[in-house]
Amino acid sequence: MLLLFENFFISLSAVFANKTRSILTALGIIIGVFSVTMMGTLISGLDKTFESSMSMLGRDILYISRYEWFGDMEWWEVRNRPRMRTEYVQKVKQRSKYALAVAPVMQRGASLSYGEKETRTEIFGTNEDYMKTITANIVEGRFFSQNEDRSGSRVTIIGFGIKEAFFGEKDPIGKYIKIDNEKFRVIGVLEKQGKFLGLFSTDKQAILPIGAYNRVFSKRGWMRLSVKIPEQKIEEGLDEIYSVMRHIRGLKPNQKNDFAINQTKAFEKNYNMLKIAIGGTGTFITLLSLIVGGIGVMNIMFVSVKERTREIGVRKAIGATKGMILGQFLMEAISICLIAGLLGLMISYVFSILLNQVFPSTLDMRLAGFSIFISILVGVISGIIPSYRAANLDPIDALRYE
Amino acid sequence: MSLIALNNIYKIYNVGGEEVRALDGINLKIDENEYLAIMGPSGSGKSTLMNMVGCLDTPSSGVYQFEGEMVQEMDDDQLASIRNRKIGFVFQTFNLLPKATAQQNVEIPLVYGNIRKAERIKMASKALEDVGLKDRMHHKPNELSGGQRQRVAIARALVNNPSIILADEPTGNLDSKSGHEIMGILNQLHQQGNTIILVTHEDDIAQNANRIIRLYDGKITEDLNTKKN
Ligand SMILES: Nc1ncnc2c1ncn2[C@@H]1O[C@H](COP(=O)(O)OP(=O)(O)OP(=O)(O)O)[C@@H](O)[C@H]1O
Ligand SMILES: [Mg+2]
Repeated sequence: MLLLFENFFISLSAVFANKTRSILTALGIIIGVFSVTMMGTLISGLDKTFESSMSMLGRDILYISRYEWFGDMEWWEVRNRPRMRTEYVQKVKQRSKYALAVAPVMQRGASLSYGEKETRTEIFGTNEDYMKTITANIVEGRFFSQNEDRSGSRVTIIGFGIKEAFFGEKDPIGKYIKIDNEKFRVIGVLEKQGKFLGLFSTDKQAILPIGAYNRVFSKRGWMRLSVKIPEQKIEEGLDEIYSVMRHIRGLKPNQKNDFAINQTKAFEKNYNMLKIAIGGTGTFITLLSLIVGGIGVMNIMFVSVKERTREIGVRKAIGATKGMILGQFLMEAISICLIAGLLGLMISYVFSILLNQVFPSTLDMRLAGFSIFISILVGVISGIIPSYRAANLDPIDALRYE
Repeated sequence: MSLIALNNIYKIYNVGGEEVRALDGINLKIDENEYLAIMGPSGSGKSTLMNMVGCLDTPSSGVYQFEGEMVQEMDDDQLASIRNRKIGFVFQTFNLLPKATAQQNVEIPLVYGNIRKAERIKMASKALEDVGLKDRMHHKPNELSGGQRQRVAIARALVNNPSIILADEPTGNLDSKSGHEIMGILNQLHQQGNTIILVTHEDDIAQNANRIIRLYDGKITEDLNTKKN
C-alpha cells in the first residue's frame, strides 16, 4: 500500500516532467470523458424537460384529430381527411361510457393588447370541459360556464405570462383586453407552467369559449378533440373511442380510419428514440476518443519505457522487483489518464453550468465517478503491456542500454 | 563459510553462432569485510563478474552461494530483495535519476525496502552526511559535479546498510582529485566493516584494496593478497 502511494507520486512527477506530451496524447481521454459526461447531462436534462412537459399533457387524455403526431402520412392524404366538427363533442359524449370530458379545441395565432402593451400569442377556442383535459389550474378568477359558451360571451382566461406582461401585480379580473382588436373580458388566469419541451411557452396563451371564438374568428380552421378517460381504463377507453369515432364517421368495417387518436405515449416513443440516438452517438464518440486516447497513452508509455531503460536497470539493481516496476509504469499510465479524465470532467462541469442557463443540466455525481473509473480503466488497459515489458527487462541489458 | 563463493562459474554468450566466454570457469571466495579490487583489460569479464556477484546476472553454469544460499534457486523477487538489502551498486556513470534531488535519489532503495517516509528522510540525510554532501541534499544531479554525483551514488548504495558495496570503475569518469575523494569514502566504509568489491583499470586505485585479482579472457590469472599489516 505504501508502495502504491509512493508509486503514484513518482508517476505524477514523471507525468508532470512531460506535461505537454502527456496532455496532448491524452486529449482523446479528455474528449472521451467530456462526451460521456455531457451525454449523460444532456439526457438527464432532457428527461427532466420531457417529464415536466408530459405532465402538462396528461396520460389519460386522448387527442383526436386528422393527423398522427409522429405519423409518416403524406400531407395531402391528411388534408383529404374530413375535418373534426364541433358536433362530435355531443356525439362522443352520448355514445361513450368512458369519456369523462370532451373538449373541442381550436387554435390560432392572434395579437393581444392591453392599452399600449401588445404581444402575439396563441389563442384557444374550447368548451367548459377544457379544464378537465389540461393539468394547469386557475389561479385567479374562474373558468367560463356552459352558458357563457352558448351565449357567445366575450370572456377569456389568460396565461400567467400574459397576466404578468399586461397587468404586473395588478388584478386583471374584469379588465378588458383586445384579441385581434376585439374586446374580451378577463375572467381568469392560468397557473404558471413553463415551456413545453423547452420550445414554446404555455404561459402565453388565451382561452376563449368556442362560441365566441367561432363568431369572432372563423368557424373553419383546424380543430382537435381532447377526451379525458379514466386513468385505469386507458386501453378500453381508447378502443371504445375508436369505434365511437368510426361510427360518427360512418365507416364500414373494411374502411380505414380517417382520423387519428393521439396519446402522450407517441411522444414517449419518439423521445426514447431521440434518447437512443443521443446515447448512441455519444457512446460512439466516447468509445472512439477513448480508444484513440488509450492508444496514444500506450504509445507514450512505450516511448517512456524505452527512454528510461537505463533507469529501469538501475532501479532493478537497487532492489526493485518486477511487480514494483510494473506498478510504477502502470501508475504512470493511470496518472496520465486520471489527470486527463479530471480535466475532461472540469470542462464538462463548466459546460454544464453554462448550459444550465438555457436548459436544465447538472453534472451527475455518479456519472462523474463513472467517468473517473473509465479513465482509470483506460490507464490500466493502455499501460499494462508497456509496463509488463518494462518489468521484464533484463537488468543487465537495461543497464548497458545507451 | 564465505560471504560469497563462486564455484566453476561460466557465462557464455552466443554472438552470431560464435561462443563468447565472458566468464570461463571462475572459482572465487570472498569473505566478509574484504576489500577486493578486480583488474584486467577491457572485455576480460570484470563487469560480468561484478553483475554475477551482485545477483543481477545468472551464470550459464556453475554454483554461486551467497551467505551459503544457492543463488540459482532463488526467484526474481528474492534476488531483488538481496540486492536491496545486502548489496549496494556504484556505477561508472553514476546512474542517478536526473529529475530527482540527491535526497530523493538516495531514498529509492528505502522505498523498495518499504520503509516509511520519515525514517527514509532520516536515513538518506545520514548517508549523504557520511559522504560529505550534507549541504547538497536538495540539489539535482545536473547541479552537482561528477565527484559529487558519484558520492550521491555511494550514499544511495550504502543507505540501506548493505554489507557489500560493488563499485564498477567508480572513478572511471572522474578527475584524479575527485577519484581520490571517492576512494577515501570507500576506504572509510571498509574500515566501518563493509565488504568492498571494486573494478578498476588504475593501479593506484587498486592499491587501496587488500586483495587484487586479475582477469584475462574470463579467467582469473592472478589473485594477490596485498594486506598491509
Ligand atoms: N550481452 C552480451 N552479449 C554478448 N556478449 C557480451 C554481452 N555482454 C558482455 N559480453 C561480452 O563479454 C565479455 C566481457 O564483458 P564485460 O563487460 O564483463 O567486460 P569488462 O571487463 O567489464 O570490460 P570493460 O573494462 O571494457 O568494462 C566481452 O567480450 C563482451 O563483449
Ligand atoms: Mg566493464
